[in-house]
Amino acid sequence: MSSAVLTTRAAVPAPVPRHFANAGWYALILPAFLLMTAIYVAPILQVLAISVTEPTTGLDNYERLLTNAGVQRAIVTTLRIGLITTAIALLLGYVLAYVVALASPAAQRWWLLAVLVPLWISVLVRAFAWVTLLRRQGLVNQGLMNAGIIDAPLALVWNELGIVIGMVHYMVPYAVLPMLASMREIDPRLLAAARGLGASRFTVFRRVFFPLSAPGLAASGVLVFIFSLGFYITPAILGGGRTLMAAEWIKMQILDIVRWGMGAMLATVLVIAILTTLAVFSRVVNLKRLFGAGA
Amino acid sequence: MSQAHALSLVGLTKRYGSFTAVNDVSLDVAQGQFLTLLGPSGSGKTTILMAIAGFVAPSAGAILLDGREITPLPPEKRDFGMVFQGYALFPHMTVAENLAFPLRVRGMERAERDTKIRATLDLVQLSQFAERRPSQLSGGQQQRVALARALVFEPNLLLLDEPLSALDKKLRAELQDELKTLHRRIGRTFINVTHDQEEAMSLSDTVAILNHGKLIQIGAPDALYDRPRTRFVAGFLGKSNMISGRIAERIGATARVSVGATTLTQRLATGATGDTVLLSLRPERIALLGDGETAENMVEGHVSAWSYLGAGHSLTVETTDLGSLRLTLPTWRAPFAPAEGLTLRLGWPSDAAAPVEDDGDE
Amino acid sequence: MTGGYGPGPFARTLAWMAVIYLVLPITIVIPVSFTDQRFLSLPRDGLSLRHYENLITSAPWLSAIGQSAMIAVVSTLLAVIAGTLCAIGCWRIGNRTTEWLRALMLLPLIIPSIVYAVGLYRYFGALDLLGTFLGVVLAHGVTGIPYVVITVSAALSSFDPRLEQAARGMGASLSQTLRWVILPRIAPGIASGAIFAFIHSWDELVMVLFIASRSIVTLPRKIWDGINENADPTMAVVAVLLIVLTLSLLLLDGALRKRRDA
Repeated sequence: MSSAVLTTRAAVPAPVPRHFANAGWYALILPAFLLMTAIYVAPILQVLAISVTEPTTGLDNYERLLTNAGVQRAIVTTLRIGLITTAIALLLGYVLAYVVALASPAAQRWWLLAVLVPLWISVLVRAFAWVTLLRRQGLVNQGLMNAGIIDAPLALVWNELGIVIGMVHYMVPYAVLPMLASMREIDPRLLAAARGLGASRFTVFRRVFFPLSAPGLAASGVLVFIFSLGFYITPAILGGGRTLMAAEWIKMQILDIVRWGMGAMLATVLVIAILTTLAVFSRVVNLKRLFGAGA
Repeated sequence: MSQAHALSLVGLTKRYGSFTAVNDVSLDVAQGQFLTLLGPSGSGKTTILMAIAGFVAPSAGAILLDGREITPLPPEKRDFGMVFQGYALFPHMTVAENLAFPLRVRGMERAERDTKIRATLDLVQLSQFAERRPSQLSGGQQQRVALARALVFEPNLLLLDEPLSALDKKLRAELQDELKTLHRRIGRTFINVTHDQEEAMSLSDTVAILNHGKLIQIGAPDALYDRPRTRFVAGFLGKSNMISGRIAERIGATARVSVGATTLTQRLATGATGDTVLLSLRPERIALLGDGETAENMVEGHVSAWSYLGAGHSLTVETTDLGSLRLTLPTWRAPFAPAEGLTLRLGWPSDAAAPVEDDGDE
Repeated sequence: MTGGYGPGPFARTLAWMAVIYLVLPITIVIPVSFTDQRFLSLPRDGLSLRHYENLITSAPWLSAIGQSAMIAVVSTLLAVIAGTLCAIGCWRIGNRTTEWLRALMLLPLIIPSIVYAVGLYRYFGALDLLGTFLGVVLAHGVTGIPYVVITVSAALSSFDPRLEQAARGMGASLSQTLRWVILPRIAPGIASGAIFAFIHSWDELVMVLFIASRSIVTLPRKIWDGINENADPTMAVVAVLLIVLTLSLLLLDGALRKRRDA
């Protein structure tokens, strides 16, 4: 009986036009697309628009890039700190990734935990911890003075040194992940083979391991550098307001002295710099994999 | 009422950009038939199956079920059962839940569902595995679950995409028999896709041979094997000796075909004197001639290679005019130890070879 | 796995130093939170729970925790629903357009939040959303979408597309296929995405600084004010609680992943 029902029901099909075949699936994308364009992309486009319309229409704000010492100083500081941070984070990250990649699976889990947990701990908590440690009456200065190594407290924070310490701390996990991904693709038999052929540990590293891990190194470098360009919280807390990086300069322009045009201009420059860096390096940096590995 | 349905393809074509995957294929599958689409990879056989199932929209042509066009219907409206390559069993459901799925989407009552699931699992002899997960089953059992899931909702047609390709040789033979029995018992129309010519010939009533997106020949397995239409079909369905010659003289339904200095007698329906012909001669149709024995066609040559196949011998014999001929002999008919250079006399009747079209493909 | 080639002593030492640098400063807040002193320092004469007591009796801190939790839950819900559906749609259609759409969804990870915060400040001002719960939820929700898209896309990449075909071929509609076949399979990925979207909102400060004004004080905002004004040991207690929460969420995620891989 039931088979008769099934067969007759199917025998009178209602044709569905083919171009609607994917319509249902596109409908699934719609909410995210609307949210992203209306709540995310639109405000950012508005920032880009403000940079060329306020206070007057034109490129006046951008002209200030050439004449205004304040914005020039912010940019130079940002680039300098960004480069220093990237260099140190890459060095530490590379060593960590190298050791993790060559460790036994059980040891790998512990190393990774040590790298990933700081990644997800609140930036504020970490900045607060650094302040606790590094300020004048902080634990490091007290410890050193009690031990009689120094007489007067060292200026470890509320300056560029503090910013770099805090930023490197934030960036190392981001540096590790892409490098680790590329190191894991290196066939371990290559390393064993190189040693078997008589190469020393250092030669194996220099001639085999390092060249094969270079793409990951480049990817990490790009990632850390673009992150450090727009970084706000850590520099704001550990810089103590004395060293202005781009993000804090933008905040000042808008919240404190209400010069929208200038703030929006530097914000635009920041976005363009980041997107350009990404576009240039898009051959070495697989964004999807980069962030996929992080989450 | 009949549960089997007839399916027709009319001028089915699928293009991907400038690449034509399926080129103007028309064929009919009668009610209750077991049709196999056979071809090498890239021949378009899977694309045709996916178009029948509704997963691929044809660029041109139509698909008819019992004469009604179903081309624009989405897959879920076609009521076709399908066994996927790799089975596509839902890993998060038990065997019974997998079978329940197509019934649930049709809103069937639980009690009725259970009855059907039990009956179908009995059919494929898996009743005791109803509560297992697919990952806890062997390859052969998974294959049977896939089959049961495709049959449980009594579909219009059963489509099989390389259903046995993931199994080892012995299991494959076993399941071939089961599949054939099942087809006979439930009397539904089956459409199967494979690249394995042995599987195609042993399973199906009708085989459609495809190459480069085109339908080359369709027919019963024995007809295809004995009377291949083209050089490709002859080569794809087993081994064949290809002999190219020229018609020297025509006498009724037979012709004298000259190949170098040798003249063959060949049954030939078409072709005039002077035409070139290509003949396909199956290795098992060539006989070894003893002293004094004669045949309509006789050549002499010496053995250049041989191998023992258990049930028989395979020999390669070099001849002056016909090149190397491969022949297979049952072991009991080869009462000698083959050796290189051994001279043999070979013979075959005038209807042993089949004239084929030269489509340039081996 | 290492094929007889392991890291040398030099690399090992450096790696250990890096790990100490990464982990130790964070753990320092634990002893500080138990200090018996009134200022940020290590315990001197003994451990004390007075700062923990301070926290749980402090109305402003409790209200900040409550507001943060509310915002994080609602914005996570938003991010999970929009992100999951989007990832499924992109996965299933899988053409050039959806590649671009997926890249669009990742923008919030790339563009500095200061830029977005500045934009929102102006944009929400015009929409009268400044200082509202809805405003913060929308901002956190939309910037949480990339985490969900990434984890769900990863879960889908190991999902056999033939399962979906099989379901459709057996007559399942789109919503039946979603509910019975796709969602159960990718549930662990969705949960991971939810965890990361939650942490994202729970920790987010930059946008809140710009759009929340005085009426909404989230936990990060309260910590920020604390660091800039009077850093007392109660802050260390909050830091410890945040670390514990993050750790448990990460452990939960690890457990989910293990189940997914099993």
